[in-house]
Amino acid sequence: MKHWMRAVIGLGFLASLSAVAAPPPGTRLSFVSCPVVRDTRSVPCWTSDYQGDSYYLTIQSDVSAAVQPPLLGHRVLVEGIVSDKPQICGGIVLEPVRLSVMPELDANCNTVLPVDERYVIDFNPRPPGPSGGRLAFDPAPGATSAPPAPPVGEQQLPIYFDFDRAVSFRHPDVLLNIIKVAGQVKATRLKITGVRGAHKLSDGTLLQESTTIGRKRAEEVAALLKGAGLTLDAELDWTDAVAEADGVDDWQSRRATVVLTP
Amino acid sequence: MLPNNVFRCRPWLPLATLAFSGALLAQSVEPARPWWSPGEDTPLPATLEYANGWGRFGLVNADGPVTTDGHPFFEALGSNGRGCVTCHQPADAMSISVATIARRWQETEGKDPLFAAIDGRNCPHLPAGDAAAHSLLLKRGLIRVSLPWPPRDSSGTAITPGFSIEVVRDPSGCNTHPEYGLDGERHEISVYRRPRSAINLRYVTAAGFGVTPFIGKTGMLAAKDPETGKPVNMNMMADAREATLKTQANSAANGHMQVVTPLSAEQLARIQAFELQLYGAQSWSNGAGSLVETGGPSGFGPRNLRAGRDGVLGNNTSNYVFPMEDKWANLPEVEGADAMARRAFRESVQRGHDVFFYRTFWIKDATHINTVGLGNPIKRTCATCHGMHMTGMDVANGWMDLGTTNAPWALEPPESPWAKELPELPLFKLTCNADQPPHPFLGRTVYTQDPGRALISGKCEDIGAIVIQQFRGLAARAPYFSNGSAANLRELVDFYDRRFNIRYTEQEKADLVNFLSVL
Ligand code: HEC
Ligand code: HEC
Repeated sequence: MKHWMRAVIGLGFLASLSAVAAPPPGTRLSFVSCPVVRDTRSVPCWTSDYQGDSYYLTIQSDVSAAVQPPLLGHRVLVEGIVSDKPQICGGIVLEPVRLSVMPELDANCNTVLPVDERYVIDFNPRPPGPSGGRLAFDPAPGATSAPPAPPVGEQQLPIYFDFDRAVSFRHPDVLLNIIKVAGQVKATRLKITGVRGAHKLSDGTLLQESTTIGRKRAEEVAALLKGAGLTLDAELDWTDAVAEADGVDDWQSRRATVVLTP
Repeated sequence: MLPNNVFRCRPWLPLATLAFSGALLAQSVEPARPWWSPGEDTPLPATLEYANGWGRFGLVNADGPVTTDGHPFFEALGSNGRGCVTCHQPADAMSISVATIARRWQETEGKDPLFAAIDGRNCPHLPAGDAAAHSLLLKRGLIRVSLPWPPRDSSGTAITPGFSIEVVRDPSGCNTHPEYGLDGERHEISVYRRPRSAINLRYVTAAGFGVTPFIGKTGMLAAKDPETGKPVNMNMMADAREATLKTQANSAANGHMQVVTPLSAEQLARIQAFELQLYGAQSWSNGAGSLVETGGPSGFGPRNLRAGRDGVLGNNTSNYVFPMEDKWANLPEVEGADAMARRAFRESVQRGHDVFFYRTFWIKDATHINTVGLGNPIKRTCATCHGMHMTGMDVANGWMDLGTTNAPWALEPPESPWAKELPELPLFKLTCNADQPPHPFLGRTVYTQDPGRALISGKCEDIGAIVIQQFRGLAARAPYFSNGSAANLRELVDFYDRRFNIRYTEQEKADLVNFLSVL
């Protein structure tokens, strides 16, 4: 009885808050804030607060997750579009959402909230412990395995990075694919352009990457491709895309572009 | 062999108490184990067992008996009288326990080649024959590992490190020494590490799951086998600095054994062939009885390792890390004190397996696990980090910063005016360059006893990352962790309880210890 009352009051309270503050579906948001972990009976979920509202980011799953959780101990750069889906873990759902962990430590980002029976997470594709179902790296059920048609002609392949970071755990597959495509198109020229990006945040702030990051990205990608056996000599270049930041998919400015010419 | 009545309990004790006291009773006093000297020429039979405090450790040579006479693993090849076998003793799961080391010191008055100045002393310049000069080996089982600083890549070119190193504490005098120190003639850093088990190396070196030209955890280039040019899984040594068993054997011969010329192709091939056919695991448990009986759990005993699949991810209910098939769950009632005690211990092992596999806790601030897309923290289990089927290693590129060597988690004796014990390991202060990403959880200044993988990669994010070693034959080779900081299995479990605030119950701890003791 008491239990039930608490749930209703809690929900009503949340609903009234968001009625005042929440931006309408379709709104693009871009902000830097602490991530928050919410434990549940199954896997934890991740939210982040911005201007008085809580936004749902993702749940814990495994390394093959489409949206990978951020890190406590660091702020997270969130870019997403407000959806009209029901809230998850008390957070407004952003879809699609793009997250990037800020490199420096922030000791304020340390909130783990306890299990709250209102929030129930279906733990597909995997529970908190070992999985009996689909394993990380296995193709999704029903996924077709027909290989895409081999590429022909000049190829422009982007590589996207985390904020102020160059190559990381995200990139082995991307780099392997570049080597594969270079072979398929019988590339004779390789050009790598590293880009320094920036974000126009929803509050108007311009968040810029470090001045040397474009060059670092180009040089690191070139060294890795060479080390993995791509024998072409890379032409390197680096540019600044800070002026492009407009609050729309700014994550795409944190990149390097690889051009392979037959 | 040990009598199997070491484990005793009274039939009227309730079962839960039985299982718990089992943890205390099943580990008896360490039995003296036979020492294997290089040049002994005794053949190594196809199968053999050695007693240890928890039962018996079993070895299987899959290719049959090994002639050790003239075998490069078993002969003293260099100038200091050591063989590989000096530090990789068959009775100690092909590692060497601190109990064995201490006994050998007594038996030979410190004259065994094991205590050679080069790395069996805290630093070569210290006086011979003085136990204090060997304290790290005698008390913690640690060998001095000296590495070039700055590091060099496989072609010998110096790597520009992303951090600077300052020596904060140097009890052995080695890191500030004019010859051996960081700024000394040799430009070396000395860290202190446990010898690792030279068994089941087919698993340790398997190029299965997750091995590509790029390191899955960082995107950097994976080390390559110099003979084939193929990437390797980088799962050997605390810092993965050796690409293959052959490069490893050559540098072990050159470093530990003071062999001047590189080993011949034939010697290297023999060492590699020997190591790849050797399997080892606990084969008898004082508490649980036989670990090799027909129809028993398929994750135990050396023969199951011989038969098992390598390079397989076991953190799932299709393969399991250490499969038990629930064989020791809900065992039938038995009569008689010994049978009841055995049943209780087996059920405790099964529960310990389940704790390892299913009991969740918050894994927090561990680089190369929280930082590889899982998030920080994650609510998962021991098996998340220890996912390799049959060994409990990480499947590829198995280094992580668990905190065993970095402040604030590394074991350090409390310093006070009343302290009886002073710290004996070095302490380094590492400062990350401004243009480098910091250590993800410790920031730009890190205090550490051993920077681990960062001594090879030169990267801040690798500080304190240590390659997980296999969990087999644990009962034969205490102390644990690369820096020997867990004196026994209970201390290992207690480390995790503190590190991750797990709050295991006494029963969970005892079950986990019993489980680890039968591997
Ligand atoms: C003085 C003692 C000593 C001698 C002699 C010695 N080792 Fe070792 N061995 C060690 C230590 C210490 C390590 C771990 C070093 C580290 O982690 O940096 C090790 C690690 C290894 C490993 C890695 C196992 C793993 O899972 O990571 C292998 C294999 C090995 N040794 C084989 C040999 C061979 C072959 C020889 C002879 C050519 C040899 N060792 C001689 C002390 C020794
Ligand atoms: C965050 C990842 C992580 C988790 C979680 C974890 N471990 Fe470990 N474990 C490691 C690392 C890294 C090492 C190697 C550390 C070293 O040698 O300094 C290790 C080493 C070990 C070893 C080998 C010791 C030796 O000397 O051979 C055992 C046994 C072990 N862990 C048991 C456990 C148990 C039991 C649990 C659950 C309570 C657990 N681990 C949870 C990362 C982890």
